[in-house]
Amino acid sequence: MGKKYDTPLLDELEKGPWPSFVTEIKKSATHSNMANDELGLVEKSYRDKRGYWKHGGIVGVLGYGGGVIGRYSALPDEFPGVAHFHTVRINQPSGFFYTTKALREICNIWDKYGSGLTNVHGSTGDLVLLGTTTEALEPIFAEYSSRGWDLGGSGSAMRTPSCCIGAARCEWSNIDAMGICNEMTQRFQDEMHRPAYPYKFKIKVAGCACDCVAAIARSDCSIIGTWKGDIAIDQAAVKDYAGKGMDINAEIVEMCPTSCMSYDGKELSIDNGECSRCMHCITKMTKALKTTGEKGITILIGSKAPIVVGSLLSWVVVPFMKIEPPYDDLYEMISKIIEWWDDNAKPRERIGELIEVKGMRPFLEAIGVPPSPAQVFEPRKDPFFFWSDDDFKK
Amino acid sequence: METAELQDKIFAFVEAAKGKKKLKEKDILKGVSADTGEEKDTVKKAMRAMIDVGKLMYSYGGGASSVEIPSEEYLREKGLIK
Repeated sequence: MGKKYDTPLLDELEKGPWPSFVTEIKKSATHSNMANDELGLVEKSYRDKRGYWKHGGIVGVLGYGGGVIGRYSALPDEFPGVAHFHTVRINQPSGFFYTTKALREICNIWDKYGSGLTNVHGSTGDLVLLGTTTEALEPIFAEYSSRGWDLGGSGSAMRTPSCCIGAARCEWSNIDAMGICNEMTQRFQDEMHRPAYPYKFKIKVAGCACDCVAAIARSDCSIIGTWKGDIAIDQAAVKDYAGKGMDINAEIVEMCPTSCMSYDGKELSIDNGECSRCMHCITKMTKALKTTGEKGITILIGSKAPIVVGSLLSWVVVPFMKIEPPYDDLYEMISKIIEWWDDNAKPRERIGELIEVKGMRPFLEAIGVPPSPAQVFEPRKDPFFFWSDDDFKK
Repeated sequence: METAELQDKIFAFVEAAKGKKKLKEKDILKGVSADTGEEKDTVKKAMRAMIDVGKLMYSYGGGASSVEIPSEEYLREKGLIK
C-alpha cells in the first residue's frame, strides 16, 4: 500500500533519538488503509490545531455493555478509512505477563480486523487495540474469546482490575498482588461486562507503598500491601552501605516522612511505632532492612483523574486487613463499598466525590468500619464539630 | 410470573421511558420489581436474557451506560434482522 498523504508536520515528530508514534503508524500504513487514513487525519489535526474525532455511540458486542469504545472521524468522506475507528479493550493478564506466542496471536488477529495499531497498556490496564469498524466487532470478539481472551471494562462498570508485578518479580511486595488482582477480576466479571453502576469503578493492587501501579492516584479502590511488625535491621549491612559511600543521614534518616529514624554514624535505629510503612528506607537499603510480622493490605478509597469535578487521591479507609486466598473478606468489603456508592451516587459521580459530599462518617457506618486516626486525610479546616442526636444519647 | 410475561413487563417499562429518561440497569430492576412484586434478581436474570438475544441493549452516552431498546440499525448490524 503506497503513501497517500504528505505529512510534513508529523514527519517532524520522527526526529530525535526516541521511538516515534508517527514511525509506528507509518509502518502499519504500509498494509492498512485505516492506518494510512489515520496519518492523513492526524496531519490535518496538527495543521488545523484541532481534533477530528467523535466519541461515544452505541457500539459493542452482543450481550456486553463494555469493552469497546466508539470512535468516529468527524471527516468520514475525506478519510473513509477511519470513518469508524473504535477502540477494543482486551483484559490483560495480572501483572501484564504475556508469552511471545500470546502477543503474536493478539497482534495477528488485530492485523486481520483492525488498524494494526495497539496501545500497551491503557491507563486502566487493558491491552488496548486502536481502530476497527463496527462490522468487525463481533468477528474480533469471536476470535479473541475462542482463544481464551475476553474484553475489559468500559462505561459505568467495574473497570478491569490491574496490579503491579508483585511477588512475581519484586522482593518488596508484601502481598500476592497478582493473585488478588486475578481473583477480583474473576469475581467481578458480571460487573465488568454489564454496566450497572452510577459511573466507573477501578481497583488497583500494589504490592507495597512504592505503588508502582499508581493505585493511590488512579483507582477508586486502592489496595496496597503493608505489614504490622517492625523493620528488622542488619547493622552489618548498614555499615556496608555507609562504607560504600551512602550518606545515611541525608539519604535515609532525613528523608523519612515521620522522622522515626536516627543514625549515629555506627548504628541505625527505628522507632517502629512512628513508622508509616512508606517503604522509602527499605527500597534504598534493601540488604539492610526487612519487613517482619503479619502481612496484609491497606484499603484506600476515592482517587480519580480530573474528569467532571477535579482529581482526587485515595485516602485510607481500612488501615490493615489480613487477607488470604480466596480473599473473601476483601471481596465482601469491596462489595459493601460499591453498594453504598451505588445506592447514593448521582450519575457520573465517583465514590471519592460522593464521600466528599456525604462525609466519611456515613460511609464508614455503611461499610461497618470503625473510625481510626489512620483515616484522617488532612487536619480539619475549621474548629466546628457537628454532633448527631445519637451521639448525645451515648 | 412466567419469564416471558416478566420480560414483556420489562420491555414495556423500558419503552415507556424511551426519549424521556436514560435508564440504568438498577432503575429497571427497582421499577419492574416494584410493579410486579418479583425479586430484583429474578428481574435481573430475565433482563439479562433479553440483552443476550438483542431484545434490549446496553447503550452509552454522556459518560454513563444505560439499557435501551435496540435500533433497527443495531439489530441489522448484529444479524438479528435483515
